[in-house]
Amino acid sequence: MSDQVRVMVVDDHPMWRDAVSRDLADAGFAVVATAGDGEEAVRRALATTPQVVVLDLNLPALPGVEVCRRIVSHDPTARVLVLSASGEHADVLEAVKSGATGYLVKSAGRDELIDAVRRTALGDPVFTPGLAGLVLGEFRRLATEPAPAAAPAAPQLTGRETEVLRLVAKGLSYRQIADRLVLSHRTVQNHVQNTLGKLQLHNRVELVRYAIEQGLDDELSQG
Amino acid sequence: MAEDHRAGLATRRFGTVAAAVQRSGALTVGGMSVEMPLWRAIGYFRVLALSYAILRYLSSFNDFLHPVSGWIYFGALTLWTLASSRAFAGPQRCTWYVLGTDLAFAVTGIVMSGIIDKPERIHAGAPTLPTIWAAGTVLGFAGKGGWKPAAFAATVVGLANILGHGGITPDNIHNIVLLMVAGCAIGYVIELARASEAVLTRALQVEAATRERERLSRDIHDGVLQVLALVQRREGDLGDLGDLGRLAGEQERALRALMTGGPLPAQAVDEPPPAERDLRQLIAPHAGERVTVSAPGTPVLLPAHAAAELAAAVGAALDNVRRHAGEDARAWILVEDEPDAVTVSVRDDGAGFAAGRLGEAEQAGRLGVSQSIRGRLRDLGGTAELYSVPGEGTEVEMRVPRKGQ
Repeated sequence: MSDQVRVMVVDDHPMWRDAVSRDLADAGFAVVATAGDGEEAVRRALATTPQVVVLDLNLPALPGVEVCRRIVSHDPTARVLVLSASGEHADVLEAVKSGATGYLVKSAGRDELIDAVRRTALGDPVFTPGLAGLVLGEFRRLATEPAPAAAPAAPQLTGRETEVLRLVAKGLSYRQIADRLVLSHRTVQNHVQNTLGKLQLHNRVELVRYAIEQGLDDELSQG
Repeated sequence: MAEDHRAGLATRRFGTVAAAVQRSGALTVGGMSVEMPLWRAIGYFRVLALSYAILRYLSSFNDFLHPVSGWIYFGALTLWTLASSRAFAGPQRCTWYVLGTDLAFAVTGIVMSGIIDKPERIHAGAPTLPTIWAAGTVLGFAGKGGWKPAAFAATVVGLANILGHGGITPDNIHNIVLLMVAGCAIGYVIELARASEAVLTRALQVEAATRERERLSRDIHDGVLQVLALVQRREGDLGDLGDLGRLAGEQERALRALMTGGPLPAQAVDEPPPAERDLRQLIAPHAGERVTVSAPGTPVLLPAHAAAELAAAVGAALDNVRRHAGEDARAWILVEDEPDAVTVSVRDDGAGFAAGRLGEAEQAGRLGVSQSIRGRLRDLGGTAELYSVPGEGTEVEMRVPRKGQ
């Protein structure tokens, strides 16, 4: 019991929520909570402290991106796996910047989902090729976009990180990437994780800068 | 239960469409009306004109033949003006009966002036009892029905003046023409205001409905995607209907491709061909069960011709994959937007081949296709490279430099 991974499933579609919960329970996860809208999701996540939150982004009451931000800011050890139907690029990118460490489209198979939840629980980022393409694009956008004077320097990927991300985006598995670049599997994972970390850090720094500019820092430190 | 849930959602959402349309309708009539201030102005004008008429009569009633009957008239006129002030607040309340009564008061006043005033005063150009109050009646007709009723009312008032109060004199003609012009002008303005208001209301309603429909279709698409994915998920449980799961999966991907594939054909009509195109929109339709498309979240703009050529080269590369790596091979397309170039890579997970066998591979039929890919890219000033690692498939990397960089 104690070594079971605690999972929460958030989706506004009851049938989908039940199906995913059942699959996860069958696979040996403890589904500690489910929620059908954003506010409920945040409340229950704070109450049940799941290790992995399987989160749909299209939610009533509170957008999925905001749910992700609140859960992660309250419990930084919570991992969020985005499971999205429509694949709205901007939302997925926003969710990843707000702390989600994985992304799957809903058409992914049962085994793929279970594997993804397991890896998310271990702290490994779950990158689809699509997400790798988005993250690569985001780093390039940040690098070329003219930054305001007060802005922190745009985060940059090392050559190795770019190489790894490109291979992920081209559909290679971590194993294949490790073989091709003559690295260990773990190192490949670390590179992928670092790219996410840089993006999330940049996002937090940007948020704080924005808050200070807008005079919201007092409110933030209270909240 | 789930059906109830969906049905409930649907009615709730269609409810909001109606509400949104109603809201926008109320917005134009209530908030942006040109007509209402005009009616308010007519209302004030009637009261001020009445005061003016009474003051004039007060200064000259001793000169009349029958001052008392004049006072009786003004008493009645005051009562009527106050009683009808609410009616003169808008075209709905101001019925034709009210306007008819108003016109009767004006005509009565004018004709009475001809009877109770002294003929020499009338010839000297003395005003009628209601004086400019009669103009309020004409304005009321203008507000109610436009310039034609206004012209009619002005004609009636004018005839009353000519027949009952002094005949055809320059003063009378002057006043009648003024009244006619003012009435018709206001009537015409009101007609214009009403027409444009109707157009605006209609436009706002269409806009609100369109926005709501877009939101709805997004939600519906999302719901359909979920259900299709769910059916696909339960493929194993469907038994004989196993094909259904696969079909659902195919439809789900098709719909997703359509949704991320940019504007629908219907929206593209009437628009001039754009100078630049988002490469992602051209490549997204390739996504399918065996093909994954990865791209930045922001548009990858290229001149329309270059984008089309590059997309065609990607199509050729995918044909290549199908032909040589087999129907079962999977492919990944990566679109990268760099400051100085756009790179598209197409990788498959087929058998691949050793570097030394590239010549063989080209002879085995890849030559034709890769030549067509290379040709297209050369014309764009770009390059196409073919890589392969045995056991890890083949990759084509196409690179188009950005002009002016």
